[in-house]
Amino acid sequence: MHESRLRVLSSLVLAGGLSMATTAMAADYIQAAGSSLVFAGSYQGQAFTGRFPGFSTRLTFDPAQLATSRLDVTIPLASATTANKDYDEQLRGDAFFDARKYAQAHYVATKFRSLGGGRYAADGTLTLHGISKPVTLTFTWAAGAQPVLSGKATVRRLDFGVGSGDWADTSLIPDAIAVSTKVVLQAAK
Amino acid sequence: MSLRNSDERWGAVSQGFHWLIVALIVVMAYLGLTMVDLPNTPHKIAVYTLHKSIGISILALVVLRLGWRLYAGRPQRLTGIPTWQSRIASATHAALYVLLFAVPLSGWVVNSSTGFPLHWFNLVNLPPIASKSDALHAVVRPLHEWLFWTLIVLACVHAAAAIYHHLFQRDDTLARMLPRNWLRAPSTDRESSHA
Repeated sequence: MHESRLRVLSSLVLAGGLSMATTAMAADYIQAAGSSLVFAGSYQGQAFTGRFPGFSTRLTFDPAQLATSRLDVTIPLASATTANKDYDEQLRGDAFFDARKYAQAHYVATKFRSLGGGRYAADGTLTLHGISKPVTLTFTWAAGAQPVLSGKATVRRLDFGVGSGDWADTSLIPDAIAVSTKVVLQAAK
Repeated sequence: MSLRNSDERWGAVSQGFHWLIVALIVVMAYLGLTMVDLPNTPHKIAVYTLHKSIGISILALVVLRLGWRLYAGRPQRLTGIPTWQSRIASATHAALYVLLFAVPLSGWVVNSSTGFPLHWFNLVNLPPIASKSDALHAVVRPLHEWLFWTLIVLACVHAAAAIYHHLFQRDDTLARMLPRNWLRAPSTDRESSHA
């Protein structure tokens, strides 16, 4: 576990160094107000949705410079909420996020692809609940003074040990959790 | 035993409804009183789901039971029972029917107020009948339990009266809610005295 954390850390440092070296090539952005990061699943066949308040995004992106683009999202888990206090207690507790031990999730993508029609894919790595696995974010990009990234991803909760033990029962909560985000961006100063 | 109710006896259908609901209430009491303190695991969810599923089933059974009673009628009142006893018995029966609706309905409202699914025997999701609300939950959660205890007290009074009639009045009150010949003595006595 320490080793994998070290590896993540070192790759972060490496990627950070890379992005600093390439800032001249693609525009740097930070997250602006009006952004949201939400998730959706179902419990006993009834849909639920939740959100991650306080997530923060740093992005280096230019549709013409995908090779030097980079997305970095930090997601606090202790404030994740479904607006149902019983669900939230479980969600933040030991069997799911274990937010006391793993306070944040982290998503870093440095590989970007154009899907055509103004759509892009970022093949990144999500670190959640102490586990790092590849997750692909597909998104559209609306350029402007405040560009908007609108994206979707599917996170397989069991890949990250979220809902362990008896909670792994996918007839209760399916494995695939839909994540979607709208990030309003502004130029980094 | 005939399916329909005769002037003398409850038929098989009414008896079936009566005793099935008695058995389900016993199961529900056990589930309801023990499930609350279970640790938060999928096992607890399974027990709650069973409690909710049986509760909705009882509600449906009570609707059918009342419908059957309206359609098939009821046995005549037993002769020789004082009017005041008949009146108390009728009032108790009416109250029991009201509670057989009120307990499951209040449970459905409790569930609705929490926003939890109502996954009937893992087959189908039933809609909420009230909006999700902590304030509503704080009222209906204890109400559900008090209605339950009222039902239990009344059911015990009802059962005690039936047993009293059987053992001391030696009439057919209890025997006619059971298959013929299960409780032989009182009706045999009565028949021989009529002969």
